[in-house]
Amino acid sequence: MGSSLPPKEANLFKVIVKSYETKQYKKGLKAADAVLKKFPEHGETLSMKGLTLNCMDRKSEAYELVRRGLKNDLKSHVCWHVYGLLYRSDREYREAIKCYRNALKIDPDNIEILRDLSLLQAQMRDHTGFIETRQQLLTLKPNHRMNWIGFAVSHHLSSNVSKAIDILEAYEGTLEDDYPPDNERYEHGEMLLYKISLLEECGLLKKALEEMHKKEAKIVDKLAYREQMASILVKLGCLEEGEKIYRSLLFMNSDNYRYFIGLQKCLGLYSEKGQYTSDEIERLDAFYKSLKEQYSWSSAVKRIPLDFLEGDNFREAADCYVRPLLTKGVPSLFSDLSPLYDHPGKACILEELFLQLEDSIRMTGSFPGRTRKEPPSTLVWTLLLVSQHFDRRGQHAIALAKIDEAIEHTPTVIDLYSVKGRILKHAGDLAAAASLADEARSMDLADRYLNSECVMRMLQADQVGFAEKTALLFTKDGDQHNNLHDMQCMWYELASGESYFRQGDLGRALKKFLAVEKHYADMTEDQFDFHSYCLRKMTLRAYVSMLKFQDKLHSHEYFHKAAAGVIRCYMKLHDFPIRATTEEGDEMSRLPPSQRKKLRQKQKKAEARAKKEADEKTEEETSSSTSKPGKRQHTRSVDVDPHGEKLLQVEDPLLEATKYLKLLQNNSASSLETHILSFELNMRKQKILLAFQAVKQLLKLDENNPDCHRCLIRFFHKVSSFPAPVTDSAILIWNVLEAELPNISQLHGKSLNVINQSFLEKHKDSLMHRAAAAEMLLVLEPEKKLEAIKLIEDSPNKLAPVNGALGPVREWKLEDCIAVHKLLKTVFINENAASRWKARCAEYFPYSTYFGGCRSSAVAFSVNHNVQNAPENGVLAYQETKSEESHSLNGKLQAFKDLTI
Amino acid sequence: MVCIRQATVEDLLAMQACNLLCLPENYQMKYYLYHILSWPQLLFVAEDYGSKIVGYVLAKMEEDASEPCHGHITSLAVLRTHRKLGLATKLMTAAQNAMDSVFGAEYVSLHVRRSNRAAINLYTSTLGYKIHDVEAKYYADGEDAYDMRKQLKVRTAHHHGHGHHHHPGGACCSGDAAKPVEADAGTGASASASASANAGERRAGGVQSR
Repeated sequence: MGSSLPPKEANLFKVIVKSYETKQYKKGLKAADAVLKKFPEHGETLSMKGLTLNCMDRKSEAYELVRRGLKNDLKSHVCWHVYGLLYRSDREYREAIKCYRNALKIDPDNIEILRDLSLLQAQMRDHTGFIETRQQLLTLKPNHRMNWIGFAVSHHLSSNVSKAIDILEAYEGTLEDDYPPDNERYEHGEMLLYKISLLEECGLLKKALEEMHKKEAKIVDKLAYREQMASILVKLGCLEEGEKIYRSLLFMNSDNYRYFIGLQKCLGLYSEKGQYTSDEIERLDAFYKSLKEQYSWSSAVKRIPLDFLEGDNFREAADCYVRPLLTKGVPSLFSDLSPLYDHPGKACILEELFLQLEDSIRMTGSFPGRTRKEPPSTLVWTLLLVSQHFDRRGQHAIALAKIDEAIEHTPTVIDLYSVKGRILKHAGDLAAAASLADEARSMDLADRYLNSECVMRMLQADQVGFAEKTALLFTKDGDQHNNLHDMQCMWYELASGESYFRQGDLGRALKKFLAVEKHYADMTEDQFDFHSYCLRKMTLRAYVSMLKFQDKLHSHEYFHKAAAGVIRCYMKLHDFPIRATTEEGDEMSRLPPSQRKKLRQKQKKAEARAKKEADEKTEEETSSSTSKPGKRQHTRSVDVDPHGEKLLQVEDPLLEATKYLKLLQNNSASSLETHILSFELNMRKQKILLAFQAVKQLLKLDENNPDCHRCLIRFFHKVSSFPAPVTDSAILIWNVLEAELPNISQLHGKSLNVINQSFLEKHKDSLMHRAAAAEMLLVLEPEKKLEAIKLIEDSPNKLAPVNGALGPVREWKLEDCIAVHKLLKTVFINENAASRWKARCAEYFPYSTYFGGCRSSAVAFSVNHNVQNAPENGVLAYQETKSEESHSLNGKLQAFKDLTI
Repeated sequence: MVCIRQATVEDLLAMQACNLLCLPENYQMKYYLYHILSWPQLLFVAEDYGSKIVGYVLAKMEEDASEPCHGHITSLAVLRTHRKLGLATKLMTAAQNAMDSVFGAEYVSLHVRRSNRAAINLYTSTLGYKIHDVEAKYYADGEDAYDMRKQLKVRTAHHHGHGHHHHPGGACCSGDAAKPVEADAGTGASASASASANAGERRAGGVQSR
């Protein structure tokens, strides 16, 4: 490289390269300019200058120079390689691979380019290409450990496990017997464990076991060694030996549940679903009693039996388990027990037990049957437990009475306020929940958990402005800016996106949801540096599991929520295009489309200019403080669209939504929501067959779900309204549907009305099913509106089939009732029915602000009309922050007086 | 009640969420990846009965060859709702044991806010740490940090015979300290374009890594 230059310039060229590698970009730039002064068209220098500028955030110049360099020297592998690196830095992997391949055509054995290519292939999961490149690297440099390992891993990734094992064994064959030296013991041990896990993976269990015995001394990670050994032994059916190992693992860590499960498996006492015969229960009980003697300090030994014991035995064990934890005051006791509530019988036993304990402590100061006095705090923790129990049962009034008593008893226990806030949230008073959480927060300002919980409650109550201010107490990063986004704080971005969406602020909502999506894209990118790193570090088991994790990264819950949020925003934008636009949007909407496009282009140019100026400014600022290289990332380009208004100006919102729908379909195919969104989106896009696909998926997942029923009816109702097909494509669609119809069992020769009627019959006791049937009746026969409304209003709110000791529990859920109210209001557009419904639900949910229940803060503070309605409230709070100065407190804001700390 | 086990890559998102709920010092996902892909033995989680991550410890080995081989606790957190169960102690003990047995660490170090009495108390009286030094203005908000250390093994230069099995590691300061950042810096124009790769190593939350 740089070969065409005279010695002085050739040396300068080396300086450019060296400076680039050591990130001394200014120095590199200077050297490049010195070369270019004499040889202004020298291709490789132009390229390297471009690459250097790229690292100084001068993108457009970078591309220009790199392209010019390449044009001047098409035969240079350096120029092609640099072009590839440039694309690589912009995550344009496919283009980068093309460039690398061109470079390799010129210089086929260039190790560095081959290595860079292999990294991209690993990143892109181009397994075939990856194997090829790794093989080439191994052939070129067989004395490098990394090349053996890389070749093996490449075969493992393409599921050729036995080949991977062969390669590792061949590599071992190249080593001396006394390998490894002391400073490589860890790496070698990791390689051996990786090989053993490969043997296990392809079912060569005996060989894996032999290998473990043979190499035991060379494996450093003894914990992994034992866990792997135990797993192999169980698979081989060597249960006695397996038991021994699990007991030794338990001795090392008696808090690892997996060891208990392993032991149970070895004893033939394990059922995935936790279903055991009475004989098995007896044996399990005896087994855990014996363990209890050995591991008296292990809480797992006492907790696990609660899962399988029943009746009186369960009660007794629960009693023994709960008492010391109440004396100690363990705040997580209820959450620890809460999985038991899935067995209704156990929930009732627990209720009886808790009330008895409460009674006894209150009356005698001791637990039942004991004479030893409990400390006063035991009553507080018992009341907390009882309160959480009734919250879980939906008996919020009792729950609140108990927690209030606890607070009165000891007002300094912060956890009580947090729990009370949670109960109020469940009961439907979001504003009161937020102010309780704020009270808890103010009791320990140094505790970020309390701060986070408060922020979450504020967002749930649509108080976005306050939430942001509160969060800022912990996330200040320089002036103004908070670091929540930089630190990938996704729960916050999701919760505020959802709040903005509820309040109809689609721009801000989109911005938050898209921010979450960006985090996932960044995490995918994060793997890049580890493809070579792990081969050197030899952390191969962790590396391969990281790749698998990355492959399903986008099925993670937060991503799903964010993508669903984005799709909803775009659909709403499509449905109500005018409402969403801003002032300038209004101006734009008055223009004819051709002029609109021109105006938009003009705006875009102006923005680009403004952004460039701003970027240049930050660049100057950063380059003036080069002493802190780590800080560089902190300076971000100025946000030209803080409120997401530009995001709303997309040409085709449905097209945007489709991108995110595809991600959901690829990564969350088993979620109902994915297909409901697909149905909604494709109906809007008039993509009949795709909408039909969604209906089919929904019926397959859960044909009894009310939303699935809605989609089914709406789809065929829509189709039946189409005129007879005339165009070829319409006829084709028609034919496909005709052919598919027999596969929809619900339809067989029945009219949609009959299907709707039988759906109603089948689920006549369920509110949400009745509401769906009523809504579909309205769709099918609009003239039967009143009949449909009556269907909803006639729904019975039955008593739940549990024998609550303290009053009855009803079945309906608050969020369902709110959904029904919205249905009456916005779909049936019947104010009378809506207000009748509201009054009825206010009785069931006295704490609900939505329904204006008599015990909700909406009524308690009704002196101020602003508080009547939660969403309005949020808008208000948000306006509040918009105009910083005018801090006029209105009624409910009293709770936030502590905010200025 | 709560399971203590080694963390897997699948736990990292939950660990990050737990960190963001509890602590003012936060890290991007890449930093978690860097830990688990460098020292997979040193990350532990506390998982409650509903499979929720309620605590974690994130630890590493220091790879500066000029210092004796030692580990460092990068971050430790337990949700407020799961206090009083001794989870922090169990997590720390697990990480310390692994540092000792896998990497042969002589001691383990950590930083703690000067004002964090509860944590300092845990480290000194329960876990046996001692204050080694004070780092002025270590945290982003200007607060000082205590540099605390706990000796894991007595420094005896030559252990003949019976002490041998206590030192299976020795892999710690192997000099192979390349971070993913520098990992690929080859020669020639073909150096990796990892201009921004520093993100993983940099602790953007304010505390300094070294």
